[in-house]
Amino acid sequence: MRRIAFHPILEIEKPKTIKFFFEGRELEAFEGETIAAALVANGIDVFGQTEHSRPRGFYCAIGKCSSCLMIVDGVSNVRSCITLVKDGMQVERQVGRGEITW
Amino acid sequence: MKNEYKVAIIGGGIVGCSIAYHLAKFGENDVVVFEKDYLSSGSTGRCAGGIRQQWSSPHNVLLAMRSVSLFEKLSQETGVDIEYKQGGYLVLSYDDQEAAQFEKNVQMQRELGLDVEILTPKDVKQRYPYIDVSGVKMATFCQKDGHANPHLANFAYARAAQKLGVHIMTHTKVMAVEVLPNGFELFTNRGKIGAKILINAAGPHSREIGNMVGVDLPTESYRHQIMVTEAVKNFFNPMAISFSGNFYMRQTKHGQFIMGQGDPEEKPGINNNVTYRFEREMAEKMCAIFPFLSKLRIVRHWSGHYNMSPDAQPIIGESTSVPSFYYAIGFSGHGFMLAPAVGEALAQMIIYGRTLHVDITELNLDRFEKGVVREKNVV
Amino acid sequence: MVKTDFLIIGGGPAGLSAAIETSKRGLKTLIVDEGVELGGQLVKQTHKFFGHEGFYASVRGFEIAKRLISQLNENVTIMNQTTVTGIYEDIITAYDRENDLIVEIEPKYILISVGASERFIPFENNHLPGIYGAGAVQTLMNQFKVLPGKRVLMVGSGNIGLIVSYQLLQAGAQVKAIVEITEKVGGYQVHAAKVKRLGVPILLRHTIVKAIGDEKVEGAVIAQVDEKFNVIPGTERELAVDVICIAVGLVPSIELAQMAGVKIEYIPELGGFVPFRDREMRTNIKNIFVAGDLAGIEEATTAMIEGKIVGVAVARDLTGIDLQEDLEKMQKELVEFRSGPFSDKVRKGLERFFPQSAHSYSKDAQQDLGPTGKLRPIIECFENIPCNPCQTSCPSGAITVPGNINSLPLIDYSKCTGCGICAMKCPGLAIFMVQENHQPGRDLIVLPYEFLPLPEKGQKVIALDREGREVGQAEIVKVVKSSNKTHLVHLSVPAGLAQVVRSFRIPQKSDSIVCRCEEITVEEIERAIDEGYTDYEELRRYLRIGMGPCGGRTCRVITLSILARKTKKSIQEIGCGTFRPPSMPVKFDSIVKGEIDNEK
Repeated sequence: MRRIAFHPILEIEKPKTIKFFFEGRELEAFEGETIAAALVANGIDVFGQTEHSRPRGFYCAIGKCSSCLMIVDGVSNVRSCITLVKDGMQVERQVGRGEITW
Repeated sequence: MKNEYKVAIIGGGIVGCSIAYHLAKFGENDVVVFEKDYLSSGSTGRCAGGIRQQWSSPHNVLLAMRSVSLFEKLSQETGVDIEYKQGGYLVLSYDDQEAAQFEKNVQMQRELGLDVEILTPKDVKQRYPYIDVSGVKMATFCQKDGHANPHLANFAYARAAQKLGVHIMTHTKVMAVEVLPNGFELFTNRGKIGAKILINAAGPHSREIGNMVGVDLPTESYRHQIMVTEAVKNFFNPMAISFSGNFYMRQTKHGQFIMGQGDPEEKPGINNNVTYRFEREMAEKMCAIFPFLSKLRIVRHWSGHYNMSPDAQPIIGESTSVPSFYYAIGFSGHGFMLAPAVGEALAQMIIYGRTLHVDITELNLDRFEKGVVREKNVV
Repeated sequence: MVKTDFLIIGGGPAGLSAAIETSKRGLKTLIVDEGVELGGQLVKQTHKFFGHEGFYASVRGFEIAKRLISQLNENVTIMNQTTVTGIYEDIITAYDRENDLIVEIEPKYILISVGASERFIPFENNHLPGIYGAGAVQTLMNQFKVLPGKRVLMVGSGNIGLIVSYQLLQAGAQVKAIVEITEKVGGYQVHAAKVKRLGVPILLRHTIVKAIGDEKVEGAVIAQVDEKFNVIPGTERELAVDVICIAVGLVPSIELAQMAGVKIEYIPELGGFVPFRDREMRTNIKNIFVAGDLAGIEEATTAMIEGKIVGVAVARDLTGIDLQEDLEKMQKELVEFRSGPFSDKVRKGLERFFPQSAHSYSKDAQQDLGPTGKLRPIIECFENIPCNPCQTSCPSGAITVPGNINSLPLIDYSKCTGCGICAMKCPGLAIFMVQENHQPGRDLIVLPYEFLPLPEKGQKVIALDREGREVGQAEIVKVVKSSNKTHLVHLSVPAGLAQVVRSFRIPQKSDSIVCRCEEITVEEIERAIDEGYTDYEELRRYLRIGMGPCGGRTCRVITLSILARKTKKSIQEIGCGTFRPPSMPVKFDSIVKGEIDNEK
C-alpha cells in the first residue's frame, strides 16, 4: 500500500495498469511511471547488490547517481529510476557489475 | 627547497619517473623530476596501457622484450600493484600486403626469441567466438604481450624513486632553461634550480623543451582520442589491435572496455578537446567487429597526444650539440610500454656510459641524417 | 542532424522562461529535457511560491510549470526524456531514451540550464535502500504518487528539508524528526513553523550517525553534536524509521558547461563550482549562456528571471532588434528580488563576477495585534522574504509591503474586512484569523489547512500550539474550501487561546489495528473504501485484510462494521464473505503423516 490514494493538493488519477515482471514475479505498474516508482509502489526497495554485497536501492531518482542499476530485458546497468516501465518488461536485480548482453 | 641537483628530469610521466627510478637504483639519487601538472597527467595517464612486443623493427622488439621482463617484476619491486596482465596481443590484419609483412615480422620476432603465433581467421573465431572475423586475413598472437594500468605503473616508479631519495616536484613548470658551461639553470614557477645533467622526458611538449635548450627535436604532437565503457564482468583477455583496421581495445581489470583509433585528419598541435565523430566512427566499427559491445554504454571519452617522431620510433640519447642534455622523446604512442627498458637504458648510459641490456644507440637523433625508415606497427 | 537557432538544455523554470522569450520573437527554439515531463523541479513542488504576481506568487510549483509550458508557441520543439550527452568540438549530442538513439544538434545559441544535483553525506550504512535524496522523495511522491515508506527521518532543515517534510505529511507519511547539524534552522521560518505546529520536532545541533538495517532501512541513530560538529558521546538515540531523507544542499551540475569550455570558478556562496557569467547570463563563450541553479543555487523565481534575461539577450543577438528596455527591466527585477537578507550570500558570491546592488527594505514588523474581538488576520511573517501576495490579494487594500518586496507586511486593521483571502493566499501559510470571544467563553481561530481528510463541521479536534503541543479541545465550526487547496478551517477554542492555537489534530483512530496479521489500520480500511473498494471480498484482496494466518478471525467483524458504517448498508446486506479451508494453517508434513496413518 505504498500508492498515495488521497492527496490534499494533487489530483490522483488512475492511469492504465500494465504488468511487468520482477525476478520472474508478475507485478502491476501504472503506465508512464518509472521502473523504480513501480517497484517501490509494490513494496520493493532492494534493487540489487553492489560488488561487495551491499544491498542497493535508488537514491537520486533523476538518473545521476547510478545506485539504481538493474537488469532490464536482459540488459545490465539500466537506470531504473529514469526508465519507464513497459508492459511485459522483465526486471531483475543486478548483483555487482553487469554482464555483457550476448 | 633544494636548488642544485645532479640530474633534472622534465616530465613526470612514466618515462621520466622510470629514468629517475633507474638512476637512483644504480646509485644516483641526486635527482629531481619536474612535472608541470600531476603525475601521469600527460600522455601516460591518457593511454590505453597496452604492452606489446610484436614490432616490425628488431630493436623495438628487443626494447619491448626487455620492458616486458621489467613489467613482470614491477609490482613486486615497487610494492604497487600495477594491474599487470599478460593476456596477449591479438593483432588482426585486414590487408593482404600487411598480412604478408606480418609473416616476415613474425619470423624476425621468433628469431629474437619472442613466442608469436600466426592465426587464421578460423583460429581466431575458435579462440574468441565473440569476435566477428569478417574481412580478417590473418592474425598474430603473442601471449606474453599484455596490459597494465598506466596511472599505477607511473605511480609505482615515482613512489619507488622517492623511496630511494629522488625529489619529485609536481605542479612545477619549467619555463626557461639557461645552458651554462658545465650544467643548466632551470627557471620554474617555484624558482631557479641548477642541474649538471638535464633530461627531456616531456612527451607532447618535448620540442618546446628542446627549443629552450637550443636543440631542435623533430617531434610533433598529434591528438589521439580514446574512450571507455561502463564496467562489466571480465571475460576479454587480450588487447585486440589492428593497424590496417585502425583500432585497439582491451578490457581493464575493473571490467571496462577501453578503445581508440588513429585519425589521419588530425593536425599537429596540442588539443585536449574531443569530437563526436570519433565516437560515431568507433561505435560503428567496433560493434561490427565486437558485436557484444552494442548494449554497453560509453562512460568517458578523452584525448591525449602522440609525440610523433619522423620514423614513429622514439628518440633517445644525448645531444651532440649540448653535452649532458639527454632526451627520451618521440615515442609515437608507445612510451608507456617502452618506459621500463628506456628508463633503465638511459640511466645506464648516464651512469656507466653504456647500456647493459639493450643497445639504444640506433635511436639517437643523428639517425635522421641517414634517412627515415618508418615503424609500421602503429595505430 | 537537428539545426536550431537556440538550444535550451534543461526545461526547468529557467529554460522554459528563456524559451517563452525566444519563441515569441520567432526564433526556432529546441528544449532538450531529461524528464518524463517538462518543468524540472517545478513539477514536484506542491507548495505555493513566494514572490510577486508577475512570477506566479502564491501559485503551486506544478501549476507554474503548466502555465509556463502553455506559453510556448509553435516555434518550440521539445525533446523529452532526452539527455545532452556531450558538447564536443564538432557537435552537440543528445541521447533520446525512448527511441534509444543519439541525436546530433547544431544550434546557433545555447542555454545550459541543467540545474543542480543533491549533495550526499557520509554516515554508517548510508548505502542502504530506503535512504533517498530529498528530490528523489519528491519525484516519487509528487510525480509518481508513491510513498517510499511510512516513517521518515529528515536530515537537513534548509527550505528543501522543510518543504519535503511538509509534503511527506500531506502525502500521509509521518516525519519523526528533522535533524539540523547547525544551531539554527536553515530555511525560512514560515516553512519551519508549518511543520513544527504539526508536531514535527526540529532537532538543532543534531546529526545522523548511522542507518540501521541489513537489507533496508529499519531505523536511524541520531546524536547531538558540539560546536565543531563532532558527535557528543552518550547522546545517541534510535528512531524507528523506514526512510531517511537527505536534504543537505545542492551542487550545480557544471559538467556540460565545463566540457563546452566555460570558465568555472569556485564560489561557495553560489553552491561551489559555478560557471562564469555576466549580467546577461552569458559565459566566457559568446553563444553559451547559463541560468538557474547551475548559475548559482537559488530558487525558482530568480531562475525564471534569469531565464527571461537569457531569452531576451539571445533574441536581441539573433534578430538584431533593440531589446535593451526589456533586458533592463528583468535585470531590475533580479536586483529587487535579491535585495533581501536571504540573498546576502548570493550577492556576495556574484560580486566575484560583477558589482552588485541592492534596494533597502523595511524590517519593521506589524506591532499591534489589532482590535480585540474583531475577526482579523494575524500575520506571523517576521523574515524578509521577497514576497507580497498578502498585499496584492487584499481586496480592501489593508495590507502593504512597503517599498521593496523584501519588506515585512503591515496591516491597517481599520480597512480590514476580515475576509480571509490573505490567509488563503499566503505562500508561507503564515496568516491566521482570530476573533476573541466570538461566543461567550470561546475564541475563534481560522487556520489555513492543506491536509486530508478535511474535518467536518461539529467535529471535535485537538488544538495545537506553534510547537505542535496539545493545548486543549477545539470544535470545528466551519470549513471554507478554496480552489487553491489552502482551505480555511474555523476552529472554536476556549477563550484566551486565540494567540496560542495555530494548528489542530484530528484525534487518531488510525493507529487502531484491525488486522493483526497484516497490520492494517482503521484508517487504511476507510481510505480503501473511499477509493471504491466497497465490496468485502474486494477489500480483502486489495488490503490483504483477513488473508493472514488467522483466517480473518479477528478482523472480519470489525471490517464489516466499518464497511457498513461507510457505505450505509446493513451488515446483513454486505454478507459475511467466504470462508475457505483450512480453518487453521496445516503443515504439509501433517497431511503426509495423516495419509500414511489413514492407510493403516
